[in-house]
Amino acid sequence: MKDYQNHLARLSRWVLLGVLLTTLASCDFLDPTGVENPRTTDEDLAEAPEPTAALLPGLRAQFARAVGGVVIGTENASDNFSINGTGLGGNEMDFPRDIVPNTAIMNSTGQIGVYWHLQELRALADFVLDDIAPNDANASNEQRAEGHYYRGMAYLMQGENFIGVPVEPDGAPLSPSELLQRALTDLQQAATLAGGGEFATRAVAAQARAYRALGDGGNARSNAESALASGGADFVFLQEYDETSVDNGPNDYLVQRSLQEMQPLPRLDFLDPKYVGDESGIPIAKAEEMHLILAEVALAGGNETEAKAQLLSALAVTQGRPTEFLDDPDERLDNDLNERPHTSSITVAAEAGAPFKTGLVLDRPGPVDTPSISGTSVTDADINGATGTVLVELLYLMRQEILFVEGRRLHDLGIRLPVMLDELDTNATINEGDPVTQVSVPGYIPPQNELDLYNPLILYQDGALIATEVTILHNMNRILAEQRGLVISNPMLN
Amino acid sequence: MRYVYYALLFLLLLPATALAQATGSLAGKVTEARTGEAMPGVNVIITSLTRGAATNIDGDYDIQGLPAGTYDVVAQFVGFKDNHQTATISAGQETVLNFQMDEDLLQLDEVVVTGQAASTEKRKLSANVEVLNVRDIEEAPVTSVDQLLQGRIAGSSVRLQSAQPGQGALVNFRGVTSVFASQTPVIYIDGVRVDNSTGTSQSLGGETTSALSELLTSDIERIEVTKGGAASTLYGSDAANGVIQIFTKRGIAGSPTVTLRTEQGVDLPVSKFLLDTGFAFPETTTDSSHPDFDKTSFIEDEILKSGHYQNYYGGISGGNAALTYNMSGRLQNGTGVQPSNENSIYALRGNIQASVSEKLTASFSGAYTHSNFERLNNGTAIADPLTTFEVGDAYFFSGADSFDEALRLFLLPSIKENVNRYIFSTQLQYRPSALFSSSLTAGVDSRDNEQRVLNPSEFDIISGDDSGSLNRYDRNFVVVTLEAVGTISYPREGSITSDFTFGAQGFREETSIITANGETFALPGTEDFDEAGTITASEARSQIFNGGIFFKEQLGIGDRLFINGGLRLDGNSAFGEDVGLQAYPSVGAAYSISEENFFQGIRTIVNDLKLRVAYGQTGKFPTAFARDVTFQAVSFRGESAPRFDNPGNLDLKPEKTTTIEGGFESALFDNRFSINFTYYTATTKDALFSVPEQPSTGRGTQLRNIGQIDNKGIELAINARVINRPGLDLSLGATYGWVENEVTDMGGAADFNVGGSSVRAQQRVSEGMPVGVWRPTIPFDSNGDGFLDDSEFQFLDETPYPTQTGSFNVSLSLFRNLTFFALADWQAGSRVFDWGSHWAQFNGLERAPRPTRYDLDGNPILNSDGEEVKFSTTQAGVALLQDGDFLKLREVSVRYGLPRQFTNRLGLLSASVFVTGRNLLTFSRQDLVDPELAGLTSGGGLQLGGEQSITLSPPRSFRIGLEVQFK
Repeated sequence: MKDYQNHLARLSRWVLLGVLLTTLASCDFLDPTGVENPRTTDEDLAEAPEPTAALLPGLRAQFARAVGGVVIGTENASDNFSINGTGLGGNEMDFPRDIVPNTAIMNSTGQIGVYWHLQELRALADFVLDDIAPNDANASNEQRAEGHYYRGMAYLMQGENFIGVPVEPDGAPLSPSELLQRALTDLQQAATLAGGGEFATRAVAAQARAYRALGDGGNARSNAESALASGGADFVFLQEYDETSVDNGPNDYLVQRSLQEMQPLPRLDFLDPKYVGDESGIPIAKAEEMHLILAEVALAGGNETEAKAQLLSALAVTQGRPTEFLDDPDERLDNDLNERPHTSSITVAAEAGAPFKTGLVLDRPGPVDTPSISGTSVTDADINGATGTVLVELLYLMRQEILFVEGRRLHDLGIRLPVMLDELDTNATINEGDPVTQVSVPGYIPPQNELDLYNPLILYQDGALIATEVTILHNMNRILAEQRGLVISNPMLN
Repeated sequence: MRYVYYALLFLLLLPATALAQATGSLAGKVTEARTGEAMPGVNVIITSLTRGAATNIDGDYDIQGLPAGTYDVVAQFVGFKDNHQTATISAGQETVLNFQMDEDLLQLDEVVVTGQAASTEKRKLSANVEVLNVRDIEEAPVTSVDQLLQGRIAGSSVRLQSAQPGQGALVNFRGVTSVFASQTPVIYIDGVRVDNSTGTSQSLGGETTSALSELLTSDIERIEVTKGGAASTLYGSDAANGVIQIFTKRGIAGSPTVTLRTEQGVDLPVSKFLLDTGFAFPETTTDSSHPDFDKTSFIEDEILKSGHYQNYYGGISGGNAALTYNMSGRLQNGTGVQPSNENSIYALRGNIQASVSEKLTASFSGAYTHSNFERLNNGTAIADPLTTFEVGDAYFFSGADSFDEALRLFLLPSIKENVNRYIFSTQLQYRPSALFSSSLTAGVDSRDNEQRVLNPSEFDIISGDDSGSLNRYDRNFVVVTLEAVGTISYPREGSITSDFTFGAQGFREETSIITANGETFALPGTEDFDEAGTITASEARSQIFNGGIFFKEQLGIGDRLFINGGLRLDGNSAFGEDVGLQAYPSVGAAYSISEENFFQGIRTIVNDLKLRVAYGQTGKFPTAFARDVTFQAVSFRGESAPRFDNPGNLDLKPEKTTTIEGGFESALFDNRFSINFTYYTATTKDALFSVPEQPSTGRGTQLRNIGQIDNKGIELAINARVINRPGLDLSLGATYGWVENEVTDMGGAADFNVGGSSVRAQQRVSEGMPVGVWRPTIPFDSNGDGFLDDSEFQFLDETPYPTQTGSFNVSLSLFRNLTFFALADWQAGSRVFDWGSHWAQFNGLERAPRPTRYDLDGNPILNSDGEEVKFSTTQAGVALLQDGDFLKLREVSVRYGLPRQFTNRLGLLSASVFVTGRNLLTFSRQDLVDPELAGLTSGGGLQLGGEQSITLSPPRSFRIGLEVQFK
């Protein structure tokens, strides 16, 4: 009997265990295997009710990154700025012929990544326009217009600044003219779909720029005039940022300037800094540029009178632009910690033998008042008195000053950048030594970093000014006028 | 994956209770044969009954309630040979059986658990398991386990990060097996997986804090180390880096024994690798009108300081046959050897072990550690005081005109970190008969840390902030472990024996990181975010589950040949959807050839010889969620702005390392000499590479299983008992490790960098080269005229990590009471990137010599002052790669146990005084960087070390301590 009870007790214990096991197994709260990705997966995105609308802010942010990357990268590679210190990964960009796919700014996927961000902008726009919007019943024409505009701008900036860019996996690089043609296709669609809204004017202004880059004066003129007509006599569109979000190169290097990495050519000192507030916007399109394009088209057609009229219009608009006050702590140091010009009594000559001009250098550190959209040292008299190549030089100077820190100068100089190293490494159709892997620098660009140099290098001793006359080593505007001629006449697409 | 969960649940319910009866008892004393001293903590076991007891502090044991009969009784203790005797138990009587224990140089009878699932003697293992026992641990002048490993594990590389508190070492066994993942071995404490992350805070110039820093060495009984391969196979997808298993002290039965220990010490800064301000500021320190005139060693005189260290430990342990306990508390404080480095640790631990019945044992171990410490900016940061003074930037970045003022500004930031950590482990062990045993382990490690970085507004000039900033970094980490194991041992006797083990093991890790930043504070003294002008925050979370079932068979033939075979099947939430269970097989043999008859002729010379060979696979699972296609939005101008994130990979699976190893362990010349040798080859297939997508896709990088990495190497440990006579014992030991690493296949992926400087000296991953091999820019003669005129990237043979490591130790015991121990370790084959000399270049300082640059005509290039121009550090990155060879006298300790007559008079069980020193001497081939330091290791993932800014070496430490035990 006792054995039987023991047996029963043992049996009931196993039954209880069995019941417990079954109950536990059905408890999801005890299941440790489930994980949940806190980020949006492709499955999550497929459930979005308005995916195009959801992704558009991403395109806007990416456009801001791309503009930031282009401005930081190309301004440093041009004569507008030289690099001080290490914040930008070294000063290789100051030596145009030394730029390679692995140069820090070139191969970065971070905020200074000039190549990367344009590719990401174009690819994200492809995704929105080709994969998402066609299946999104809620996608509007305005949304599509914005998408086409951003893709067009990506192609435009690629076409202006690069030797060639592949636009699909293992694709052969498209030439600058192919990129610019694609830009035009998208910008025209944007203008059409936008139905006269903001993006219509932006798209038309961008087309004027693209036609100029292609050397098509007629279409450049018609689009520039059209942009002025629809946007107004002093229109300007700004890409604004905020201090704390996105990879914000403009904020770090142009607004905060904590390490004062970017030092302007002394003759442009009076224009720097252009963006002084946390939310300062970078002009994307503005009336002055349309006048400058119209002037260039006129010059290409031999019409100096019209060209001067357009330059005067550009000047008038420029003079109406605001300035911003800043107590600037910039000590104006170069890479060897020599003091660069920072005293208003310094006069600057564009090159040896050129007249020394006052007002180009401001007193720093200290309060400065600088243009936030456009500024220039050129006067009515300068324009009225110029002719021939001097007038062309003046056009280049006005473009350099008015479009300062907007990412246009490298294109005017005729320098074209190579693809980034990641592209060379991963794209099966691109091999080391291909044209797109090598920077293209016209013969008229001076050697080494002479684009950025001036004399004398030592201006101060123990804090005291010992020389008041600064001579820029090369007057690139004269050289461009004489050796390149007009961009619209000599677009240098290959 | 749920099958694993059900298996776990089933096994969880396996242990059940049962009872038995007995009628006699066995008691006696265990002493050390050589000294005659009582040995506490020795396990005396009647194996056929699965009954036993541990000796108390006086070396006495007592096992009650044994059935009458004749039994084989074995006494076992780490570091001593098993002592077998026969005892006859009669009903109602106490049988007395005393044991005298002989030391075992080879320790083949030592029982290990790690990687075996069930306890197994080392002589049966086909792959090596290293053991650090309580004596190694107690005598070492270290705080954390990573420091303890230095020089003690053959073939390991253990590199500390710097002198700052809160940090952990980079630990590596058997070479780098991955180009994406951390190489830190996984760590278990009492069977529970714990946080082993080496990047637990935000980086402030490259250095981060580490979860290894709170793995304290107090209360550790034993540490078992497997270095990957067959010994680690049962840990499956998580074991390619090896496994460190820590066992904490259980109480010993007897009346309560109290242990009190106090240590006082001094830490002295090591300035060997500083050129100091006399070099960095040649103009002001030689200008008699300057306030810094003659301050040529400002760093050593004014920044570095000697630190005070204090440590207090109190523990109580005891119990009876049914329940033992061990409780302890510890307080530790150090002031550090530079400003803002004060650190404190408060630790509590409790272990309880209860014999619920003769067949069921329940144990619990719990620990709470609170650590708080201050740190300085260090590394590449502009705000780093040490670097700015050493490389000549102190005036420039601070805007100050004297060293004193600059230092005041650099010391303004407050960087504080608090860690709260709980580690709990519960275990049930059920042995219903000698034929079956089982255990269930469940536990958790919960680690929370909070780092606060406050830059006051006065620091704006250096930080670039506008009216100050406050950064907070909170990391919450939890890992839960569940394991159930059963072993069937049948037949247990005869010429063939078998132990079949089966089980299930799983863990789940959750990490949540919140970072917040407040900027612009109107008022000084504000330390709350609410008061900031702008507040931003971000969050990163991950979850991962890994679970598997395993089987292992150990077949014994003639008690000398042991065949081991095992298999683990794993599922993991990070595996791609198209990837199923992953299998990790192992097979091996251990052969105690010295037991054979034919061997007996030479047994007087070769006392023991065990041969072993093994094959085994281990894995490394991918990062959580790396398989998914994701988008990530960021805030932009008030909108949530998505962009491409992870491209996604349905085929994502673990890296698999296949190790083949062979070796032997031998004791020679009357057990006076021992040798342990292993040769291994390890091939990691499906190595995960973070492959850049083509830029035209606009997508970043994706983990893909495309690579293969090979490692091969040797591990050697030798020990010699030079003198062994009563009153004098002298032992010498040495370890040596060599490893050769090669990336043998990159699956078509392009070369990429895993560290270093992309433009000066890259830590490169390239097919046919070791992982992270140095590829610096090197000046060369382009036209053959004998003059250096150009520069290009070239591979060197060296890596950022050593290829040869080793150590020497001396152990001396005099008159039983006085022991002396010294340990030195060395590493060779690496080069270290010297960022400090790079920064110095910007101030015109040639801290590391660079060659002169010539033009193509063979003329030196001159600058505007007519001086010869040197290659820049960008053109001659090789000049920044310093020789990484070093030898450090790591530890010296002297311990004196007060004579019994004296301690008895004081009513003490024992008392000892000890004096220890650590990091006493450093020998290196250059004086610009301490080659040991891992330096810059920010972030998770693969960290190779081998690059640093101006980084302070761990201090030269001296401790004097007193330990007493009483009842």
